[in-house]
Amino acid sequence: MSEHKELYLGYSTDKAVTPFFQDFLEALEQEKLMKSKCTSCGAEYLPPRQHCQKCLSECTLTEMTEKEAKLYSYVVVEFAPMSLSSKQPYVVAIGEFPSGLRLTAHITNLMAMPEVGMPLRLGFEAKEKMVTYKWLV
Amino acid sequence: MARRVAVVAGGHSKFGKRFDATVRELSAEAFKPIVDEGITQDKIDASILSYAASQFSGQGAGSALIADYIGLQNRPHMRVESACTTGTASLRAAWGMVAAGLYDVMLVLGVEQMNRVSSAMATEYMSQAGDMRWEYPFGISFPAFYALMASRYMSEYGMTHDTLAKIAVKSHHYGAQNPKAHLPKEITFEEANNAVAICSPLNLYDCSLITDGAAAVVIASEDRVKEFTDRPMWIKGIGAGASEMMIQDRASLTSIPGAKYAANAAYKMAGVEPKDIKMAQVHDCFTIAELIAYEDLGFAEPGKGPELVENKENYHDGRIPVNCDGGLKSKGHPLGATGVSMTYEVMKQMRGEAENSSRQIDDVDLGLVHNVGQSGQFVNVFIFERGW
Repeated sequence: MSEHKELYLGYSTDKAVTPFFQDFLEALEQEKLMKSKCTSCGAEYLPPRQHCQKCLSECTLTEMTEKEAKLYSYVVVEFAPMSLSSKQPYVVAIGEFPSGLRLTAHITNLMAMPEVGMPLRLGFEAKEKMVTYKWLV
Repeated sequence: MARRVAVVAGGHSKFGKRFDATVRELSAEAFKPIVDEGITQDKIDASILSYAASQFSGQGAGSALIADYIGLQNRPHMRVESACTTGTASLRAAWGMVAAGLYDVMLVLGVEQMNRVSSAMATEYMSQAGDMRWEYPFGISFPAFYALMASRYMSEYGMTHDTLAKIAVKSHHYGAQNPKAHLPKEITFEEANNAVAICSPLNLYDCSLITDGAAAVVIASEDRVKEFTDRPMWIKGIGAGASEMMIQDRASLTSIPGAKYAANAAYKMAGVEPKDIKMAQVHDCFTIAELIAYEDLGFAEPGKGPELVENKENYHDGRIPVNCDGGLKSKGHPLGATGVSMTYEVMKQMRGEAENSSRQIDDVDLGLVHNVGQSGQFVNVFIFERGW
């Protein structure tokens, strides 16, 4: 096995990292959000899948060029699962890019209650082993 | 041609925070009324003894423990798991075995013990039923998945929290009349609207309970039914469905696609329509889930569920009585037991055996159970017919 930097997505410490997911995490550390594209039928996925859901062929990672999205739905988590209880309250949002691809992440800079349809922009954060994408308003 | 199969008996433990019992004692409590009725262990050919999550009780291979404890030695048993639909998935599997002729008489028992861990830990375990790579790292708890549906429903249809509060008031109104309920108390509209936030827009009274409990039913093939009862409840329609794993991947958040799929299949198999159904037990793990169920099951048009609530058509004397036992909200939600408990309640209503006339539904000849797992990844719909 080659030497890989130990990275975790978001706010968990899940160690189930595959080579494909490791490539995603390392790109994320460079502030690049990667989607995946099927090498056979061209279907695109966000978050990325290593295998195409339609033809099960291998997918390759490719950088998302879209940075702006709209809020599709949200929740304010006041009572969190134990692993995230130190962060509560936090806002989880589904953002929808103009292409229709969606991404689920925290909105980290809200000053008021979110509203469905409001504009979001893609942001990044990295701290020690943690890397993540996030939504900004 | 498959044999017809009927539910012939049932039993139900007290639901609640049961620090006096573990899965084995809860299972015995649910099975005892069946044995007392004369359906003793020697009459059971095989069983499905299920719970959704072994993390809660810490007991592995639990069906072996339960089968032994309740006296089913030597007879085949197994566990079926599919999150909160574990109970009806077990019933669906057992139906298949009996309909096919493998067995004549089967016990289906669902149980869950959830209160041996803290609420935060229970919330943690349930969040691990989301996508571990892409959802879990963002702390999307179980209520959070349904809150994402609620936010979207509010935005698309202009619904306010008042509608959800009215559903909670109804659930507690009936739960207060159910001696097996976990939280048998009435709540006011103001309390339901102003409770502490859990996952906004959902508050405490929008959420089902973390409950310990068990429920059991016995099913039998048509040629054996008469040995056990003159009031069989026939399994007339079964539908099952599934929805996308990640909630963000769904085309709509104001409906559960797998529930519509399951309902259509169940109606088709039963040869009935939504208007024929006299009562429904729906999966109200959250108030928004009950609202969406009205629409997915065809009791209301899309976006019109709030009108059904406003007109109290969901009460025991209304057009389509729903969860007149308190539902998951007030009766409680021991994951693996829930689908079996719903089935038990339909049988009870059909037999006119509700404890109280103010929760007894009149003349139930067709009843429906709608049981949803996770945030719609599993769905089972059953239609039952009165056989007397």
